[in-house]
Amino acid sequence: MRAPRVGIIGIGQSEFKAKRDDANYPELVREGVTRALNDCKRELKDMEAVVYSLAPDALLGIGNAERLGVDAVGARNKRFMRINTGGATGISSVITGWTHIAAGVCDLVLVAGADKVGESGDSQTILNKIWDPMYERALPLGTITMLAMSAVRAMDKYGLTEEDMARVTVKARANAARNPKAHLRKTVTIDDVMQSRYISWPIKLLDACPQSSGGAAIVLASEKYIKENKLDAVWIRGVGHCSESYYMGDRMGNKIMADHADAHALGQSFLRSYKMAGITDPRNEVHVAELYAPFSNTEYHSIEASGVCGMGESMALMREGHFDIGGKIPVNPSGGTLCTNAIAVSALVRAAEIALQVWGRAGDHQVKGARVGIASGNGGDHQFFGTMVIES
Amino acid sequence: MKATQIGICGVAIHAPQRSDSRSLEESIYAVTWAALRDAAYDIDDVQGIVVAGNDELDGRAISIMMASGSVGGVDRDILSTPSSAEHAFVLGALRIASGQFDNQLVVGWSPVEVDSFNDALKIGTDPYWHRALPQDELATHGLQASVLEDKVPGIRKTAAAIVRKNRTHGAIAYPDRPLGPVEEAFIASGRPTRWPLTDTMVTAPGYGLVAMVLASEDTIARRKSTNVAWIRGMGWATEPGFIGDRDLSKLPSLEAACKQAYEAAGVKNPGTAFDVAEVADGTPYHELLAYEGLGLCKREAWNEFVASGTPAKGGKLPVNLSGGALSFNPVFCAGLVRIAEAANQVRGRAGAHQQPDAKRAVAHAASGPAMHYNTVVVMDGGKP
Repeated sequence: MRAPRVGIIGIGQSEFKAKRDDANYPELVREGVTRALNDCKRELKDMEAVVYSLAPDALLGIGNAERLGVDAVGARNKRFMRINTGGATGISSVITGWTHIAAGVCDLVLVAGADKVGESGDSQTILNKIWDPMYERALPLGTITMLAMSAVRAMDKYGLTEEDMARVTVKARANAARNPKAHLRKTVTIDDVMQSRYISWPIKLLDACPQSSGGAAIVLASEKYIKENKLDAVWIRGVGHCSESYYMGDRMGNKIMADHADAHALGQSFLRSYKMAGITDPRNEVHVAELYAPFSNTEYHSIEASGVCGMGESMALMREGHFDIGGKIPVNPSGGTLCTNAIAVSALVRAAEIALQVWGRAGDHQVKGARVGIASGNGGDHQFFGTMVIES
Repeated sequence: MKATQIGICGVAIHAPQRSDSRSLEESIYAVTWAALRDAAYDIDDVQGIVVAGNDELDGRAISIMMASGSVGGVDRDILSTPSSAEHAFVLGALRIASGQFDNQLVVGWSPVEVDSFNDALKIGTDPYWHRALPQDELATHGLQASVLEDKVPGIRKTAAAIVRKNRTHGAIAYPDRPLGPVEEAFIASGRPTRWPLTDTMVTAPGYGLVAMVLASEDTIARRKSTNVAWIRGMGWATEPGFIGDRDLSKLPSLEAACKQAYEAAGVKNPGTAFDVAEVADGTPYHELLAYEGLGLCKREAWNEFVASGTPAKGGKLPVNLSGGALSFNPVFCAGLVRIAEAANQVRGRAGAHQQPDAKRAVAHAASGPAMHYNTVVVMDGGKP
């Protein structure tokens, strides 16, 4: 069946910072919502359903914290549900909003959320609690150590170097310097990255994302509504998800289901999105990408999983500027998750930034001529992946 | 475009006993396979999955991660709705209606290992204003009962009668499960737990899991699936976040959810539209509010409605023939169990508590403090 046309008509992002003690949690949610509604000149009362984007309760220290956000998103007595796929939550929420409209139950859906990772204390201690309490939690696992192991595996499999990793950070910071919403906007050099302290070898401080606080929202509408109201929109043409195993050990050893150097399920998810969107040659059909990569090394396997280059090719292409703004396929022109990571909405921001790019509204970090873009989100212990194709 | 009809073709409800040594993951695996067997599906047939667990009750930061393998999520499209287990059902149905999938597996669970349910769920309160108060989820149910007793005279006796009714139903439906007391005088005058609720008016949390297989009409026809419950209407809505912003004697979100579901299903007169109902009954006062919100009985007639035996087995509209949550209360997935039980009634697969000739059912799920989320599903066993 041809995928129903669902459009993005409004986008709102707050400023992302280490601390947003000027706004409590519901106020932070409302900040993104107000900006998204103003963007499409709609009101809360127009929204028929709300999909709430919120990852682990523990980062906020409030169980089912979506309930405290009900009035911030104007959902009282309306359709409302929360989605959680860890770091992929934001894109999973946008896809769930798409599902509401594609299913024919609503014409207007608000997708919104916020996070205060910067105010959570030590997010890595909290994120250790995502692992099984009997088998893997006792190990020194956090999302950094988990993906440091991926980097080590990529070093062995593809010859990834620490300089290659640093090059991603340099690109991300240069892009973020052009994005007023980004959290870390100071440009850095390869030397700066190489001289920063190790967090978990080979990941250094400047290879790692910040702990950000902020909110974001997207307003989705049916094609019928957009036409009847003569609205400007960009279109979600493909959506998909795919998951890997829970146990880290299932990605290592002699009987691996998916190599931890790569992002196997992300690749599968992209194939699903491309099939829906009718994309058969992503190297030539995709103009811009926002790929969830909270650590510099993970941008490489995310690029390769997206199919815009072959396996093991992304490092050489990065050196050539292929993924820079001005390169053939700019990746993370916003600065990406490496510069801004409010976990509950990071993947929502990936979708929002791609929408802005194909809309031609990305400001100083606009990629010229971008008409087809892709976005992704990764969650859990590199377990849940969501992807999306957005076109003008 | 013609709307896709969606059917429930597999259901499994598990209530592991304390002697069951299986881990939560193993139990999730078991209930998943039981639902697949009921639908005559293999895991390879499943296209997408929606699951729901609660981080605080599961003791994990993202509890669905653990379940992914048990439900066959590896290499599949899997989502989770931690807001409530019944939302997983709603999203599963929406995913089929969108045309993206032909079928969905929906799984919810609620374990009991947590030392204190009330403390775990109290973390769901606002940390600045409400957490310092003795306001756990059961306390919000007590506040709701209190305001209802004030506004509707004489309902305390009726509340006790509802407890007796549901536990009597539960003894028939699941005789192996331990049941609470059924003597009305004892129920109403038990030890106050969250006044005016007595400890005999509510049921201690139980360990439960539920799984369902949903499919599109084309898929059901192609696979020649039998005993299908067709979803005719579905509605879901939320109350505001702060309990102080609510009139706890009313449930506008249930009215909104009902409007959505009944419009889709073409239900004009809910009082006579259904052969059987499964409704939220975390406390008997929840069931009273469900009668009103679902349009089955106005509050002025609650006492007479229950006293006449209308919602009892053999009555005009049996309510909670499964025994409801007043018999078995797997807190986080109790709402999804209501939907599963109603589906089994119109599928003719309800077993010992089957309502003869049940053609059309309404299921109502509520979860959170003082019935924060409300979901309504209308289904029948007819043809697509």
